[in-house]
Amino acid sequence: MNRAADQSQVNPLREGLSTRAVPQPCSIVIFGATGDLTHRKLLPALYNLAADGELPPAVNVIGFARREKSDDDFRKEMEEATRKFSRQTVRDEIWKTFGQSIFYQQSDFSDEAGFKSLAQRLDKIDKERGTRGNRLFYFAVAPDQFEPILKHLKAVGLNQACEGSWARVIIEKPFGSDLASARELNRVVSNSFSEEQTYRIDHFLGKETAQNILVLRFANAIFEPLWNTRYIDHVQITAAETLGVEGRAGYYEGAGALRDMVQNHLLQLLCLVAMEAPSDLTADSIRGEKVKVVRCLRRIAADEVASNVVRGQYAEGAINGQSVPGYRSEKNVDPKSMTDTFVALRLNLDNWRWWDVPIYMRVGKRLPKSGTEISIHFKKAPFVLFNKETNESNVLVIRIQPDEGISLRMQAKMPGTSFRIEPVKMDFHYGTSFGKASPEAYERLLLDAMSGDATLFARRDEVEEAWAFIDVIENAWSAKKNAPDLFFYPAGSWGPEEADELLARDGRAWRRF
Amino acid sequence: MPAVTETYSLGESIEIGKIDKKLKKLWQEREGVMTRASLINLAVYSEQPGSLEKNTQLIARITENHACRALVIGANRKSKENRVEAWINAHCHVTRAGNKQICSEQLSFSLEGPCVKLLPSIVFSHLDSDLPLYLWWQDDFPDEMDPQLWAWVDRLIFDSQTWNNFGAQMRLVETAQQEAKQRIVLCDLNWTRLDKVRHAMAQFFDHPASHHHFSKIENLKIDYALGFKSTALLFLGWLSAQLNWKLNEPARNGSCRFVDANNHKIDIELHQRGGGPIGDVILNSQGVKFRVAPAQCGDLLEISRSSENETVLPQMMPAQSNNPVDLITQELLRGGPHRVYLHAVNCVRELL
Repeated sequence: MNRAADQSQVNPLREGLSTRAVPQPCSIVIFGATGDLTHRKLLPALYNLAADGELPPAVNVIGFARREKSDDDFRKEMEEATRKFSRQTVRDEIWKTFGQSIFYQQSDFSDEAGFKSLAQRLDKIDKERGTRGNRLFYFAVAPDQFEPILKHLKAVGLNQACEGSWARVIIEKPFGSDLASARELNRVVSNSFSEEQTYRIDHFLGKETAQNILVLRFANAIFEPLWNTRYIDHVQITAAETLGVEGRAGYYEGAGALRDMVQNHLLQLLCLVAMEAPSDLTADSIRGEKVKVVRCLRRIAADEVASNVVRGQYAEGAINGQSVPGYRSEKNVDPKSMTDTFVALRLNLDNWRWWDVPIYMRVGKRLPKSGTEISIHFKKAPFVLFNKETNESNVLVIRIQPDEGISLRMQAKMPGTSFRIEPVKMDFHYGTSFGKASPEAYERLLLDAMSGDATLFARRDEVEEAWAFIDVIENAWSAKKNAPDLFFYPAGSWGPEEADELLARDGRAWRRF
Repeated sequence: MPAVTETYSLGESIEIGKIDKKLKKLWQEREGVMTRASLINLAVYSEQPGSLEKNTQLIARITENHACRALVIGANRKSKENRVEAWINAHCHVTRAGNKQICSEQLSFSLEGPCVKLLPSIVFSHLDSDLPLYLWWQDDFPDEMDPQLWAWVDRLIFDSQTWNNFGAQMRLVETAQQEAKQRIVLCDLNWTRLDKVRHAMAQFFDHPASHHHFSKIENLKIDYALGFKSTALLFLGWLSAQLNWKLNEPARNGSCRFVDANNHKIDIELHQRGGGPIGDVILNSQGVKFRVAPAQCGDLLEISRSSENETVLPQMMPAQSNNPVDLITQELLRGGPHRVYLHAVNCVRELL
């Protein structure tokens, strides 16, 4: 989805090849290099890219963290992690050259001397390995570490690239915890890096099926004419997890489901479903259309929160026949915690396309099944002929994960001499139709960032608009007076009954997941 | 997707007129246990003795990655008997998630004697509707081809490496393309064989800072294995087409000379060596050597750029396997037109 290329910059040998151009050589500096994200996702993703021939030889990975260790120690650690978490088996022949491109820089994030050493080391690596001064800084650290790192990067001049080179920064979510903190975070980042240099990663957008939403909508002529208030009754987006808070209670207690999932992942999916066709496939055209969707979200007034948003928290219950504790009994969770582990929302988009089409979202932990799906519920056929006997409508389901695919429910005549009508399902499964495994979301996103393609990354205005919408709800929940109730649901159920009532009031029901 | 119920047999013998009925019954019996999947019609035609069995094994492996309806046709034009036989079978594989068996149908036909002419009728009668038809022609093309067939073919797959007379065969293919009422994409497995080497060579020049080398290339050396000279020539054709080179001096003892748009000379050396179809490929430009070579392990390419002033950073990349299953799998993954192939052929047509 790159900007229309300047022909003088195009490699004529690329014409007709099924692979994309390899990015420019660069050094990737990972802050928080000893953490879980680096082990489980980043290094395996980089290895897979290298093994698939998607990287140039001069891509270096420099781990930056507090713990004392040598390059060799770090390489060994990364090799073990990659062997454990990579989607492809690690080949010794490939690791031998890939491993040599991994380095380690020990320093505290608040120690400017460590950043000076980093700058010197990067210059040395540039000379030795021909990385041409291109740098990608990956922040795999908690947001409270951003400021000192950014400040020191700026102080030693690493935020600026020399002429003909580039410096970029990738930031992991959460992009703040409310509008004020998001603005502050953006301010801090923008003090060191411009918006064009900043890549906010939301791994949901790196998933093949999320990208396929645009293809489904804009490459198939049959859907787009129906994709509006005239034919669509409502939209549902569900992100369900069987898992509880696991080891993330420290973060989750301060976040909750609304901040953790709705503000980013679910609103991003909504944008892809509801956006207008972009004028081209450039990053700004697509992101420009997405942000318009968030701006069209009807703001929920404080006194309307209770009637449009249901918050819940899981209590003791059972998942797959196994007893599980309630949220308040989880390790490191306040026994009186008011954190939402479930949210259901009724949203509206105030534009011509979506006028009077409610969007229902629900997200929760400890639900009976795991999966993320979007369902488009079409209006029923006119109440004539066969429809006196049936009450079903057409539903188009986009399965984001797992078992990625698309299904369409329609009405069919039952065999027999009478007109009995039953719903049937046409089902497309990625895994069934295409034998080739999709790359991991992080592979796609890292490659895009190295190539300077920001299409699948969140822009500053998208993030801030999303927080402006979420803040009203969070503020209502934390109000001292008349705060909407927190409802409890047994683990293994589909959330509190009040979530069902949210749709029942409109004469609708959650789709059977 | 590992095969779970693979027998590599042609399956159940069946009267040709009852195929549809039998297939329907087959899936009714297996409903709930297995899922039928198909994205393309893949017709495979061969006149080699024993091809039905050999191609059944290939289809069993190809369907691990490409769900299709396979029509495997073995023909014997010389037979005095006039006979048609048919079999049906299914190749089932467990999905990556491990929770489903996905099955592709295979219909096999043996045509002997005059009934070989029934080929188009057999293919047309057994296509999975609305899906594209890929025809994999495994032999030389006969002088007289039924033009009816081309009207239905979306992609024609062949391997020019096996051709004795490239010029004559290519003319037949091009005639077929012209006679077709719709666009046929020509898919030469000899071209697919070059896919990874082309990718490896192309990546040296993705950075615009390397583009100045295009006008400074002094020579190109390509090693190839016995029987794969046409593969090496197609690689040369690709570079010529994309970099606007023209043949200046015809081939002599494995070498020839091309000139670029500025009349700058490029010396070409082709050497037959042992090993895989394409061995070392070296392109020299202004003291910089761009090298793509098979790694010792066989399934990787070792690529490097070197000069007096640069540190050599060798890199490993996937190599293209010469196994027919891998070649077809790679070709089926590509899609899209193959305009570059035709340009490449035109640039080296005299040498092929």
